[in-house]
Order: sequence, then structure tokens, then C-alpha cells
Amino acid sequence: MQIELTEFSDGRWPWWIAGPALGLLVVGFFLVSNQPLGASGAYAETAKVLTGRKDAVSWRVWYLIGIPVGGFLGITLVGNGFEARTGYEPLVEAWNSNWIVGAVVLVGATVMGYGARMAGGCTSGHGICGTAQRSPASLAATGTFMAVAIATTYLLGFAGVK
Amino acid sequence: MMQSSLMYKIAGLLFGAGFGFVLAAAKLHEYEVIHAMLRLEEAYTFLLMGGAIAVSMPLLWLLDRAKVTTLLGGQLALSRSKVKKANLVGGALFGAGWAISGTCPGPAVVMLSSGAGLAVLTVLGLFLGLTLRDRQVARAGGSATVGDGEQRMASTGS
Repeated sequence: MQIELTEFSDGRWPWWIAGPALGLLVVGFFLVSNQPLGASGAYAETAKVLTGRKDAVSWRVWYLIGIPVGGFLGITLVGNGFEARTGYEPLVEAWNSNWIVGAVVLVGATVMGYGARMAGGCTSGHGICGTAQRSPASLAATGTFMAVAIATTYLLGFAGVK
Repeated sequence: MMQSSLMYKIAGLLFGAGFGFVLAAAKLHEYEVIHAMLRLEEAYTFLLMGGAIAVSMPLLWLLDRAKVTTLLGGQLALSRSKVKKANLVGGALFGAGWAISGTCPGPAVVMLSSGAGLAVLTVLGLFLGLTLRDRQVARAGGSATVGDGEQRMASTGS
């Protein structure tokens, strides 16, 4: 196993800037709204509004809108800018079909969404905010999804995903 | 203050934008970055998450001890639930889906706004999966797990 620190570092904020910045956002959101900065809960709330199971548009919907807007700014100001592409080039290269990749990604994301709702959080929620609160449930969920994700990625290697 | 208030919405939008900005600046919306992390080829994302926790954990501990009053939400309240089976089973499903789709709920929408066409299916799948779980739990007569890291739905109303 070789740990490569420089390969992606072109144009990226170093981890010791981006990590603490994320940590300060987490603390800041607690100080303002007394809420953890987790993404999956915002999806669940937005889904309820979209399917008419909830009328009032809450702050969580605005939070979910904010993420891609801020992301677009980050891509424009720090990254390489907006670029039309599949986003899954390594998978397309491995399987040689946008349709197959699309189907696999759709199924994978559905499993991910189902799992996040069942576990009560995702990478940002359990992994960062829950862990920062020293929550046993979040630590257990984080350890589990990290281990399973690493194992699944290893298995994907046998399906040609390098 | 009610969570449907304008101030809550503005705070949500601004912190969402800040979160998205950092994700993009660190290129966590790129499939290759997440994949390199999960293949244990690059320490960057692990170090980034560790850096975020190293800053937020002690600060939250201190602020909690000082019984700080938050701007909009009353006294700071941290959640520290016991481990339930759903945390582990859900976590395992989440981990498998995360590895396959190469992104997670936050970065997925940044992927979309960065021009990745197939991310439409990623975001659609996330909505499908979350809704599927919500409906399943509702049919069984319960309410969905509200994790310590997720937005607290039940406690403060909307």
C-alpha cells in the first residue's frame, strides 16, 4: 500500500486547511442554530416537501440548496470550473457503457440513501458532526460504513474498477 | 425561535453554501478523490476528516461545558445516543452504496453543480432510498431514526 499525498494536490486546498475549515463550520452551525451540519436529514426533509407530505419549507431545504450553490462557487474560485462530463470516468472506462454505469450508480445511491436514513446519518452527519459530539451511535455507524466502504471498493477491483 | 423562521433559513443557506464551498475546494465531489481514499491509496480525505474532528470535538466539548446559549436555538445541546442495531445495519448499507457511487449525500449535489451528468442519477437514487426507508418505517407505525449527526427533527419542531 502506497500513500500518495501529492497526486491530487494540484488546485486543491490542503487537508490541513479544508479539514479545520469544515470543523469550524460544524461548530459555527451549532453556535447559530444548535443543529448538526449533516446532509442526509436535509434530503429526507426535502423529499417530504417534494412529495407533498409536508407543506412548510423549512431551513433544511435551504441548507440543501446552499450546498450545490457554495460548491459551484468553490469549483469556480478554487477548482477547475464547471465542466460537462459524466463524473464517473473511471467506471465508464472500466465498463465501457454510460447506461451500465448509470444503472449501477442509481442502485448504489438508492442503497446509500436507504442506509443513511436507517443509520440516522451519513459521512458528514455521523462521520464528522456525530463523532465531534462524542456520540457512541455515530462512532459505531462511522466505523461500520468506513470498513464496509473500504471492503466494497476492494471487491469492485475484481469488477475492473481500478 | 421557530425553525421555520427566516433567520433559520438564512443560516441554513449560508452554512450549506460554506459546506459546499469547502467540499468543492477539497475536490471531495470528484469520484477519483473518494475512490483513492477508499482504495487506501491516498490519506488526504482521512486527514481532512480527522482535521475537521480535531477542531470541532474539543470546541464543542468546551462550549457544552460552558453551557453556551446559541444564537437561534437556545442552550447548546449535544446528542450522544447509545448504539442501536439500525446504526450498524444502516451504516453497512450506506458504506456499500458510498463505495459504489463514489460520493455521499453532501458531495453528490456538488458533483451535480460541477457539471457531472450522471450525478443526476446519484441524487435521484439518494432521494429514492431515503424516501423508501421513511415510507417503510411509517407503514410499520414508527418514526425514522434521527441520528446524532442528522438534523434533529422531533425535538424542536418546525
